Amino acid sequence: MTRTRSNATVTATVPAARPADPPAAHSPAVDVPAVDPPAVGSGDPPAAQAAVLAVRDVRIRDDVNDREIVHGVSFELRPGRAVGIVGESGSGKTLTCRAILGILPAHFAVAGGSIEIAGRDIARLTTPQWTDLRGSTISAVFQDPASYLNPSLKVGVQIAEVIQVKSGLRRRDARRRALELLTAVHLRDPELVYDQYTYELSGGMLQRVLIATAIAADPQVLIADEATTALDVTVQAEILDLLADLRERRGLALVVVSHDLAVVAQVCDEVLVMRAGEVVEHGATADVLYHPRHEYTRLLIAEHEQYGLDRYLADTDTDTGAGGGGEQRKELDGVR
Amino acid sequence: MAVSTADHAAVADPGVALAAARARRAAGRVLVTLARSVAIFVPVFLVATFLTFALRALSGLSPASIQLGESATPDAVARIEHQWGLDRPFLAQYWSWFTDILHGQLGASWSNGTNIAELISNGLAISLSVVTLALIIGVVFGFGLGTLAAVRRTTWIDRAITGFLTVFSVMPPFVVGIVLVTVFAVGLGWLPAAGYVPASVGTWPWFTHILLPALALSLDPMADVARQLRSGLIASYQENYVTGAIVRGLSPRRIFFRHVLRNGVGPALSVLGWRFPTLIGGSVVTEWIFGLQGFGRFANDSAQAGDVPAVQGVLVVSIVLVVTFNLIVNIVLGRVTPASQRGV
Repeated sequence: MTRTRSNATVTATVPAARPADPPAAHSPAVDVPAVDPPAVGSGDPPAAQAAVLAVRDVRIRDDVNDREIVHGVSFELRPGRAVGIVGESGSGKTLTCRAILGILPAHFAVAGGSIEIAGRDIARLTTPQWTDLRGSTISAVFQDPASYLNPSLKVGVQIAEVIQVKSGLRRRDARRRALELLTAVHLRDPELVYDQYTYELSGGMLQRVLIATAIAADPQVLIADEATTALDVTVQAEILDLLADLRERRGLALVVVSHDLAVVAQVCDEVLVMRAGEVVEHGATADVLYHPRHEYTRLLIAEHEQYGLDRYLADTDTDTGAGGGGEQRKELDGVR
Repeated sequence: MAVSTADHAAVADPGVALAAARARRAAGRVLVTLARSVAIFVPVFLVATFLTFALRALSGLSPASIQLGESATPDAVARIEHQWGLDRPFLAQYWSWFTDILHGQLGASWSNGTNIAELISNGLAISLSVVTLALIIGVVFGFGLGTLAAVRRTTWIDRAITGFLTVFSVMPPFVVGIVLVTVFAVGLGWLPAAGYVPASVGTWPWFTHILLPALALSLDPMADVARQLRSGLIASYQENYVTGAIVRGLSPRRIFFRHVLRNGVGPALSVLGWRFPTLIGGSVVTEWIFGLQGFGRFANDSAQAGDVPAVQGVLVVSIVLVVTFNLIVNIVLGRVTPASQRGV
């Protein structure tokens, strides 16, 4: 299953991002064979590697009141890399994702710029070509995973369906492969989960299942649109670890969309900060976090410092003296 | 299920256990649905039959007035009522009537003493033929039109279909029936205008005789099914799981059949659940037009003659039909949309 990647877009322009932090110690080996894993992690990515997703100055217009909602978003994504898009709700980050997936809501349209997935300009794709491309080259997971799965079908059957359709496997093989995927997304009892319906699973489990359906046909790009927003903090951390893990093992390129700077900082090499449809800041994660140039980015970081747990712990530290508080904080750091 | 069981048997022992566990689970779901339905329907049946039986006491009708006329002596009335067992205590009468019903005996007609079960089954054979055909026509065209309208929603096709369905649903079946007879029987002479031929005589004559009445009766359920399906499908298409299926790269056809239809079909199926019994009972006028001695005609004639056992028999059969058909629809719904069986 070697993939032919057309190299229409050779990128040298992406800022040399810091190599990804190794994902937090994750135990069970993913026993699903990774598809020709590209060089990720330690070494510098080869400069000649083609971008699997190239977004160039994309503008999105609302046809109803003829207003431009997104004013030019550009980024490139190479295999195994991760780009984060941060911004408040209404900043256009979700619309950008939907434009990339070709699922803009009615009366929204890409008004300018271009999007290339694996070297193919999506503006010229026909419906069958889109069907072909989605799932096997690009896929996505969203907030509220329960609603993105069919409530009338067993979740395992929905994973197997993707495998049967996209990879042409027979029913029995598809089932086996689906079970492997459920294991790969760290679900404890895949056999049991396979036969369950969405209403029988928790939010964290559903998000894992949704990720399993999304990666079932071995896509090169996964878009995670607020995928951890509705989850509680520990589950959120586990899902982010899972995404980092998949990226590491399968060379999956990620687009992580969140309103939470911390989420993006944990997974991404590169960050775009969006506000009111404008990209106000774009750069390597560390640069943006430590040397924010735009007012709005500073505000986001400041809010984190002001309302985050660290701040609270720091306060209690100074209140109670350097005694137990410090230890407590260290423990928490360890957990994180 | 059988195939996967065999598959697993070939692989390993744990596979067999697992397949068996899954089979049990699937069977369990059906059993739960069945048990829940039975738990609802048994009390419904008991209450409904009791009320049905109480009708005689409430109506004050007696076989004596039918057989002897107005001028009967009290002695004669008492003798006749004793013959029919009507002088026994109410609950004793109810009990013997109820146990007879459980054995399929509906008693004898007051007017001529014939076996009511036989009379009803004769009428029901005609009515079931007509109504089943009407439902098949209604379901096939209802599904077709509803789906087409949903897929092409807000286009002129959708508007045309919705408009026609509205006209269909407000046209009374007897008007449609008269128009059909005028056009196809009298005008074109393609089909017989009236009467009934049992299927045992010949399938084709049987079919031609029930086709026109079935068409007349089919418009209403067709309109109902189509409209419920249209709104159900449109609602399903707006759900996130459709976006999810698109993003996973499934084809539009597959998304429609496996994801949208499956979740949007519920209301249309529920409509069928109560359409069937009302069609059986409510086709009196249509049966009249087409000269059919059906179930509706029998019910009407018995009620007009004051033949209480016959009316009771009609009611019992109707109750059984309603209960059975709803049970079937519930089980089908439970298989198609498992989430709909949760709670409620």
